[in-house]
Amino acid sequence: MNGPLIVQSDKTLLLEVDHEQADDCRRVIAPFAELERAPEHIHTYRVTPLGLWNARAAGHDAEQVVDALVQYSRYPVPHALLVDIAETMDRYGRLTLTKHPAHGLVLSTTDRPVLEEVLKSKRITPLVGARIDPDTVAVHPSERGQIKQVLLKLGWPAEDLAGYVDGEAHPIELAEDGWALRPYQKQAVENFWHGGSGVVVLPCGAGKTLVGAGSMAQAKSTTLILVTNTVSARQWKHELVKRTSLTEDEIGEYSGTRKEIRPVTIATYQVLTTKRKGVYPHLELFDSRDWGLIVYDEVHLLPAPVFKFTADLQARRRLGLTATLVREDGRESDVFSLIGPKRFDAPWKEIEAQGYIAPADCVEVRVNLTDSERLAYATAETEEKYRFCATTETKRKVTEAIVRRFAGQQILVIGQYIDQLDELGEHLNAPVIKGETSNAQREKLFDAFREGEINVLVVSKVANFSIDLPEATVAVQVSGTFGSRQEEAQRLGRVLRPKADGHQAHFYSVVARDTIDQDFAAHRQRFLAEQGYAYRIMDADELLAEDA
Amino acid sequence: MSDEKTAAAPRSLAEALRARDDASLAALLRSRPDLITPVPSDLTQLATRAGTRASVVRALERLDRFALQTAEALAVAGDPATYEELLGLIAGDAQDPPVAAALPRAVATLREQALVWGGDDRLRLVRTARELLAPTPQHPSPTGLGPTVREATSGMSPGRIQEIVTTAGLPSTHDSVSAVDSLTSLFTDRRRMAALLAGAPADSLDVLGRLVWGPPYGQVTPDPAPRLRWLLDRGLLLPTAPGTVVLPREVALHLREGRAHRAPEPVPPAVEAAAAHPPQVVDATAAGQAHTALATVEELLKDWDEGGPNVLRAGGLSVRDLKRTAVALDVSEPVAAFWVELAYAAGLLASDGEADERYAATPAYDEWLERPPAERWALLAETWLTATRTPGLVGGRDAKDRALSALGPGLDRSAAPEVRHRVLTLLAGLPEGGAPSAESVLARLRWERPLRGPERAPDEDDLRGRLARWTLSEAELLGVTGRGALSAHGRALLGPRPPAKAGVKARARTTAATPAASVPTGPEGAGDKLPVHKLHRAPETSRAGTEAQPQPQQPRPDLEPGPLSPSEQAVASAAAARLLAPLLPEPLDHVLLQADLTAVAPGPLRRPLADTLGVLADVESKGGATVYRFTPGSVRRALDAGRTASDLHAFLAAHSRTPVPQPLAYLIDDVARRHGHLRVGAASAYVRCDDDALLNEILADKRSAGLRLRRLAPTVLATQADPATLLEGLRAMGYAPAAESAEGDVLIARADSHRTPPRTAPEPVPDGPPAPDATLLAAAIRAIRAGDLASTAPRKPTTAQVAGGELPRTSSAETLATMQAAVLTGEALWIGYVNAEGAASQRVIAPIRVEGGFVTAYDHTADEVRTYPLHRVTGVAELADDQI
Repeated sequence: MNGPLIVQSDKTLLLEVDHEQADDCRRVIAPFAELERAPEHIHTYRVTPLGLWNARAAGHDAEQVVDALVQYSRYPVPHALLVDIAETMDRYGRLTLTKHPAHGLVLSTTDRPVLEEVLKSKRITPLVGARIDPDTVAVHPSERGQIKQVLLKLGWPAEDLAGYVDGEAHPIELAEDGWALRPYQKQAVENFWHGGSGVVVLPCGAGKTLVGAGSMAQAKSTTLILVTNTVSARQWKHELVKRTSLTEDEIGEYSGTRKEIRPVTIATYQVLTTKRKGVYPHLELFDSRDWGLIVYDEVHLLPAPVFKFTADLQARRRLGLTATLVREDGRESDVFSLIGPKRFDAPWKEIEAQGYIAPADCVEVRVNLTDSERLAYATAETEEKYRFCATTETKRKVTEAIVRRFAGQQILVIGQYIDQLDELGEHLNAPVIKGETSNAQREKLFDAFREGEINVLVVSKVANFSIDLPEATVAVQVSGTFGSRQEEAQRLGRVLRPKADGHQAHFYSVVARDTIDQDFAAHRQRFLAEQGYAYRIMDADELLAEDA
Repeated sequence: MSDEKTAAAPRSLAEALRARDDASLAALLRSRPDLITPVPSDLTQLATRAGTRASVVRALERLDRFALQTAEALAVAGDPATYEELLGLIAGDAQDPPVAAALPRAVATLREQALVWGGDDRLRLVRTARELLAPTPQHPSPTGLGPTVREATSGMSPGRIQEIVTTAGLPSTHDSVSAVDSLTSLFTDRRRMAALLAGAPADSLDVLGRLVWGPPYGQVTPDPAPRLRWLLDRGLLLPTAPGTVVLPREVALHLREGRAHRAPEPVPPAVEAAAAHPPQVVDATAAGQAHTALATVEELLKDWDEGGPNVLRAGGLSVRDLKRTAVALDVSEPVAAFWVELAYAAGLLASDGEADERYAATPAYDEWLERPPAERWALLAETWLTATRTPGLVGGRDAKDRALSALGPGLDRSAAPEVRHRVLTLLAGLPEGGAPSAESVLARLRWERPLRGPERAPDEDDLRGRLARWTLSEAELLGVTGRGALSAHGRALLGPRPPAKAGVKARARTTAATPAASVPTGPEGAGDKLPVHKLHRAPETSRAGTEAQPQPQQPRPDLEPGPLSPSEQAVASAAAARLLAPLLPEPLDHVLLQADLTAVAPGPLRRPLADTLGVLADVESKGGATVYRFTPGSVRRALDAGRTASDLHAFLAAHSRTPVPQPLAYLIDDVARRHGHLRVGAASAYVRCDDDALLNEILADKRSAGLRLRRLAPTVLATQADPATLLEGLRAMGYAPAAESAEGDVLIARADSHRTPPRTAPEPVPDGPPAPDATLLAAAIRAIRAGDLASTAPRKPTTAQVAGGELPRTSSAETLATMQAAVLTGEALWIGYVNAEGAASQRVIAPIRVEGGFVTAYDHTADEVRTYPLHRVTGVAELADDQI
């Protein structure tokens, strides 16, 4: 009765990390509980039906779950909660999706009333075909994803035993010359491959691309990689050529500018979701080859239409990669049901402790609005308020002070509003990358930054994702997309790549005090605070005084 | 019960009672306490009362299933019946050993309860019980048996009877009575009957097969099919009404091999452990839940601290308030109702009795809070165990279709404490850590107290069944049980166990393993003890028949199953509290503060700490630990409560095991910086003046003290006095102030006329009623005349009776006895009767039924059947024969 775990009535589990059994306990509860928060002392896991079903899918049974809770719990676990867990897990597997030799894809049950219940649902009716026998009903193969999604919502998740197609084989090997997959990356690849499909969650800078490459080397088949934008597509291509046996010619880019289809094709979400005359003209990409593996980069940004396409791809292996499975639209469960359950997850701090990502010092600098700005802010229209406070004059002074302080280091200044960025660029004498900057120009500036030819780069949100800036050690965020938590995580990720000289990374967020900027900042920081990245809060005056 | 010792067999229940010793009479009165309220004057009166319908019904309803089955079998047997005849009916021709073994106990129970009297050669069921249990077409018996041949042929023509007798292969007789006798003896003779049925067509046997276990009635067409004709011709089916036939009792019994019941249930179904947990786990789980129970009650009353919900006009809590409470406690509504009712029953909350009535915590709650946790729990548990209030009913509707609300009226169920105690006792009978399935507990309770009448669907629970289910779930909520098994402290609640505790447990364990065999062998097994009869030694032990019984019944004084007396319960609760105390988690004095602005209390907190933290932060998650989140709002709340920022820093530093995270410290300072920056107050008038020297002068003037002026700014004074008073005051001081409108304009003072809000003129109040008009007068006169006629007319028929003289007067016992005698004899009586208005009259009645304090009788005076309350009958007298 002195375990590290406390089971709460709302089905959260509190794990005391300093406890001697904490690591054992973490290993045992990880299969069925989602790590929700990981601050310094007590980590919070949540037990959800989805998590329990994923655990069932991975071969854990209710008894193991209950044993784990009872064994490590500090206080007696409420009986009702244990019963609830057992009942929830028992719901999984009553329905199975299998391949029938004569009827193709079928939904069958071991518990007839359950089948009757789900068949009564209006949302299931259009997805199923003829009733083959009292316990079996045919399912249109194209609705495999759809029906899984709906059944999950109905609370009767189907066990998908229909298997995967191997796809067109294509030799891919990792070229591990002078480097090797890190242990956690290997573990992630292994977990994914063992589970069939699913999502791998790793912090920014922890090498998600390599997990993708590792998985491709496992699959040894043609691969479709979906990424957020062209820059990111180029990055993937570069990395794959460097890390695997693939050559430039084997990798195609399918974007707004180029439409190449090769054994390994990298496509952007944007081109896929382009709609002309009510249809998606680029959908054929999915059918253009017999893909054996589909990789979704930054799965938390997956646009809604891609969900729909993905539903049709249930027979192919799917790998989702992300740093934060936090979607501002709350569609995490769609990710789980269509791409697959979370197969690997590592707390940021743990990977930092292993030295794979740089330790970061996060500081929130609070600036005061000037009196005239306060008046303008008070009278501004609601939709204009954020802009007013986010672009306050004082922020410029503070940013300049920070840049001065870290002179000589690679510094990124990130913001939302172009006017503000242009002004900052002017004052800091630094180039600005924004939406209208051409790709060629962007890559040129990135290269210059990488080479250390320029120290300070001002970027808008176009640079949010997948650009690799190895030597950035300081990031200054002057404004953001309202309260987006994953944006904050991505931006912090920009400075977390391990530094050659073991430098500490610095992340500054400049926030206007007593305005909605501060509220948004609190919301944005919550994810990182819960990942153990505690922000220090400073007053601008303090910073400016130190600097003077 | 020592009737057999006396030479002469008793001729009536009264005589049988007279022959019983004191202990056996005490047993009767203990199990049927309604017989001594009020105390009867003699044994005749006791016997009369024991024979009343209400009392017999009550006694039958408290029989266990096998005793009831035995009584039902007696009701279809001859009157009197021999023990062997009864044994045949209950155990069948095959003489099932377990049934035969259990029968002496059942007969003893019925004897003890004065439902059966007479020796084993002449067992008699009390007449009322026989009437209640014997099958009639309106009330089919659970046995599914029909009427006897004699009853079924009573209206049949002698010719038809002779035909039947002849077809059945019997010699014809001279009269119907002997014909029926010979038919009956054929039907009851197994061998001859078998021979008769051997010749039956197969489809006729099918018909019999369908009717044999009841209901025994069937429909026939006017022209029956040959398979029915064959049966009708031999009297194997007898017509009862046009188109209806019945299977006579004797035939059915033959087909059933003598059994009155398809499935006699001689032994109680065992309550078996569906799961077994280690006792430590059970105790720990229960203790955890007990802790939650305390926390929940506290949280509930804290939630209602600043004005609880309103009391509905009809009493109770509105559905909306219950919902809100459920959300606040994060439980379902029925569970919320349980906590609310529990706190109410424990006296921790009540209505405040104000004009605007609300629920609030009582002073007893504050005392309760001061007590150690285990004692607090003991109060709740004891309250729950003994309360008649039944939270499970909340949300349902009563007989008048009114919604039953929590804390409202109509929630008391007198059976609740007994059922709760019984269920826990059954749990206590299992080995430690054994959790039974709810179904086995319910099955056992249904056996112990079956419902009379037609069988119900098994899933439909009666009140006792529902009470039992609620008991199981409530016991879990309260931490009396853990994981469905009774905890050690729950066991202690039931009072001290017999000294040989280990023996009981061991015995109970074997009981669970082999239920059927262990009932007679393990009478001390708590799980199998029978609540209905106690302290009786089976009188059959002296009988030759029972000598073969291997296990005579033993008295079991140590296993009184009934709820404890208040003092015993207090002792038991204290014992339970002592057992629970070490299991409850120790309150902590520290929390863990984290940089994501949360604080985690890894266990229950000491009260002052919990109170302060509850103000300073919002509770995010509850359970074994508590997670608090600090927000600007929560910090502001703490500042509003009079804390200062430095207070809060000191508080957190003192109670945190880890350094206070910088963001939290910053948050507190940041909120404190702005706290109180704006000030709000109430003022009803102000003085403003651009010249602050003038305002200084006013403030300095002693005469202004009464105006209670306060300087808000150099040029503004405020006051609580109203503007008119302020103007007056300043004018009196010699200034010339001008009144200002809300917009700041100077008001022109002019004498204004004061007006009330719109009012209606008073209605005139005349001295007497208004003068009647002609229509009304005519109607009134007509009514008076009609009434007059009515009051004079009925005198004639009653004059003869009134002439008889005074009202008869007898004692109430005598009245009752005479009435009951008259029911049996069918005689008419002369009674004195006082009606509801107090008018006395005399009536001649022929009583038909006496029950429940009423006599239903044919009233010769009124020439119709009427019902009179017995307490209004002044007395009775028998009539001379010539009076009717």
